[in-house]
Formats: sequence, structure tokens, C-alpha cells
Amino acid sequence: MKKEITVTVNGEAITHTVPLRLLLVDFIRDECGLTGTHVGCTYEGRCGACTVQVDGRALKSCMKLAVQADGKEVTTVEGLAREDRLHNLQKAFSRYHALQCGYCTGGILMNAVDFLNENINPSEDEVRRALVGNLCRCTGYSHIVEAILAASAMRHGLKPVPPPAETEPAP
Amino acid sequence: MYPAPIEAYFAPRSIDEALQCLAEAGDDATFIAGGMSLMQAMKARLVEPRVLIDLNEVEELRGLARGPRSLTVRPMTRYRELAATSALHGALQALGDAAATVGDRQVRNAGTIGGSLCWNYVASCMPSACLCLDATLVLASLAGGTRSVPIKTFLVGPLETARRDDELLIEIVFPASIRRGVGSAYRKYGGAVDGLPIVGIAAQVEVDEAGLCTHARFSVGGILPTARAFDGVGEILRGRPGTPAAFAEAAAAAADAIETQGDHLASAGYRRVLIRTLGRDVLAEAHARASNGAGR
Repeated sequence: MKKEITVTVNGEAITHTVPLRLLLVDFIRDECGLTGTHVGCTYEGRCGACTVQVDGRALKSCMKLAVQADGKEVTTVEGLAREDRLHNLQKAFSRYHALQCGYCTGGILMNAVDFLNENINPSEDEVRRALVGNLCRCTGYSHIVEAILAASAMRHGLKPVPPPAETEPAP
Repeated sequence: MYPAPIEAYFAPRSIDEALQCLAEAGDDATFIAGGMSLMQAMKARLVEPRVLIDLNEVEELRGLARGPRSLTVRPMTRYRELAATSALHGALQALGDAAATVGDRQVRNAGTIGGSLCWNYVASCMPSACLCLDATLVLASLAGGTRSVPIKTFLVGPLETARRDDELLIEIVFPASIRRGVGSAYRKYGGAVDGLPIVGIAAQVEVDEAGLCTHARFSVGGILPTARAFDGVGEILRGRPGTPAAFAEAAAAAADAIETQGDHLASAGYRRVLIRTLGRDVLAEAHARASNGAGR
């Protein structure tokens, strides 16, 4: 009923004995204490907030058992930044105000980083389609799409599209 | 939504080892492929496997291999890989179309063609696409070696296939002549972008050098009891040029002939409308691809 597994989480090998039925998302949150990976639905695989990367590929971690990650590399949103330097996509999310409540953000970042590795110069349509598996209950998709396109442009050394102009507060 | 307790978990590395695990595990052992359907069913307690045999580490169950007259797709090949490969261009493009629109990115990163075929959920894309492309499924068992089953026989009903409990799907073989002039396409209509198909349609069209249809296959998914092919489309199109009127006539005949169910997603009549309209468009797309392949 239990098995010892070793999962490399954000570069650190973690060995735990876990129940066979433990979902990967609960291993990450409860056993590793990494709560940036969220549960936005009732583990139905609908919301995408629990998206992490397993061996570099974005997966919903409620759709895998922890034992299936044995011997694999898992990257969560906590593993995106390098020391104090945010990932380009995180910078773009901040700059383009691509989050409101932030609940979906971790999952979207982990999906979008994988997407941008696969598609080096996506169109807006491709970005929107890549987000089908991630729900934003604030419905703030426009800024999310802009941020992902800007991160793609930043990587190409192109000047990113300027962020929305600051409006003067009404007198 | 949480799986029931699981007594044992194995992650074999070869087909032989997987079959051994199954034989030793006894009753209530289940193979898990990509898990995109099975994990949902386990969390909903529709299935409560006592023993789980994970196929994700079996390298020999992944990838594609071209033969002289066939293309073999191994069952643990993921949707992402099928959507990206150029090996399906031409006659088998319907499979690429279908794989590219399953679920979402995360699902396509994990889900597999073999898992989908063996689960045979009504609202899925792989059964109808593979039916149209006339796949043959190779099943292996410890006791009986291997046997080949045509997809039409394999697909039995909702969540039901001809696979016996002691068998493992090891190959999906598609006839693939190197002849040009064959094209195929798949489209679906669902409640959301890339969502489960209320109706999904695959078509394969072959044209001669004069641009006349010589052969066509047509299948419909999203209907009960399981995906079905309609041979009448080939009979209607044979010897005719690929015109919008011909495609509309053929798709309308399919819509009239195929029995559809009404449910909370769509009425039977609405499904027939979808078969007519999507069917017409899919035939036109398959024909256009066949014509491009013929060098015109």
C-alpha cells in the first residue's frame, strides 16, 4: 500500500514513503510543502492550477500518482526563478499585470514555459489555444496572452510590445 | 474525487515484464497508460484497481515505425508526438488532426493513442479516426502469443473492446501505401475548444490523376454504442469529381443512415445536422489533401 520514492523536485532529490494512491499534487503540496502548486477544482483535471513539469513537460499533477514520478524531475512554480532572478515569463507577468487573484498563475506559468520551449515564435492564436487547459476564474486572459507573447519577444531579443500606458488618475 | 486504496504498483520496463506482472497480479489488475481517462475514473471510484501496472516506462511501446505498406504506431505514443510527426502526412493525416485537438496541452503531453482505444469512451477522437484509417490492432498475451484484430471488431461498445483481460495492446498498424493521391482529415464539434466531441468525423479520400474519387472512407465518433464507419460515402463518391455538392450528398446520406442518440449534450437530430455539415467539410478537406498529394 506504500512505496518509497525519490523525486527530484526543483533540483533537490526528495525521498519519501508514500501511499500508492497519493496524487502527485498532494505529494508536492503536503509532503514537499511547496504550496505554489494549487488545486482549483476537485482533482478533476479541469482547472490546470496544479500544472507542473515532469521531465520538462507540463502535466496536471492531479492526473498522476506520486509513485509515477519516482526517479523523475519535477519542476514546480517555485523552481522557475534562479536565485533572486525571476524567469522572463514571471517578469512579463508582473509587467503586463497578467494576474489578478493569482490562483491560476502558477499552473499557467508552468504550462506556458513548456509551450514557449516547444513553440519559439507563437502567434496570438497559438498562445490562446495553449491555454485551453488552464482556467482563470478572474477571466484575465487578455493580459496573460500579452505577457506570454512579450516573454517570447524578449527571448528573441526583440523589443517587447510596450505595456498598457499608465493612465493619470482623475483629478 | 480521490482514488481508492491501491495494493500494489508496478512499472515494468518491457512488454514481457508487463505481461508477467499482469499474470502474477491476478484479478483487479489494470494497465495504466497516459491515465487521462483512467485516473478520472479511479478518482470518481468508477474503477478501483487493486493492482496498477504502469506502462509509461515500457520504451518498446512508444514511437512509430514505417513498413513497406504500413505505418505502425505503438500504443504508448502520446498525442503530442502524433500531432507533431510528419509521418502521418497524406493518407493518415486524420490521426494527426485528431491528436492535435484532444483535450489541452497538458492532456496531449500525457495521453496516448493506445490508452484511448482501449478505454473506448464514446466522446473520444482516437476510435473514430483509427476506424476511418482502417487500423489493425495487435494484442499480446502470455498464453496466446499475439493476435491481430481489425479496429471494427475491436471497438465493441461504450468502455468496451475486444481486448481480453490478459492481453496488452502492443501495436496499431495502419495501411499506408506510398501512392500519392490519398488524403484524410478529422474534425469534431464539442462544447469547448478541443473539448470532448459531441460528434467527431474522420474521412479518407483517394483521387485518381483525373481528379475523380476512386475510394472514400468515412467514420463518425461521439455516437452510441461506439464509433461507426459508413461505407455508403465511398459508393456515392466513387467515379465523381470532388465537388461541394458531391460531398454534401455523401455526408447527408451518412447522417440519414447512422443512428444517433440524444443526450444532455445534444439531441439526435442535432447530431445528424453535425454529421451533415462537419462531414461535408471533412470530406472536402480530405479531398483537397488527396489532390495536393496527387501533384495538382
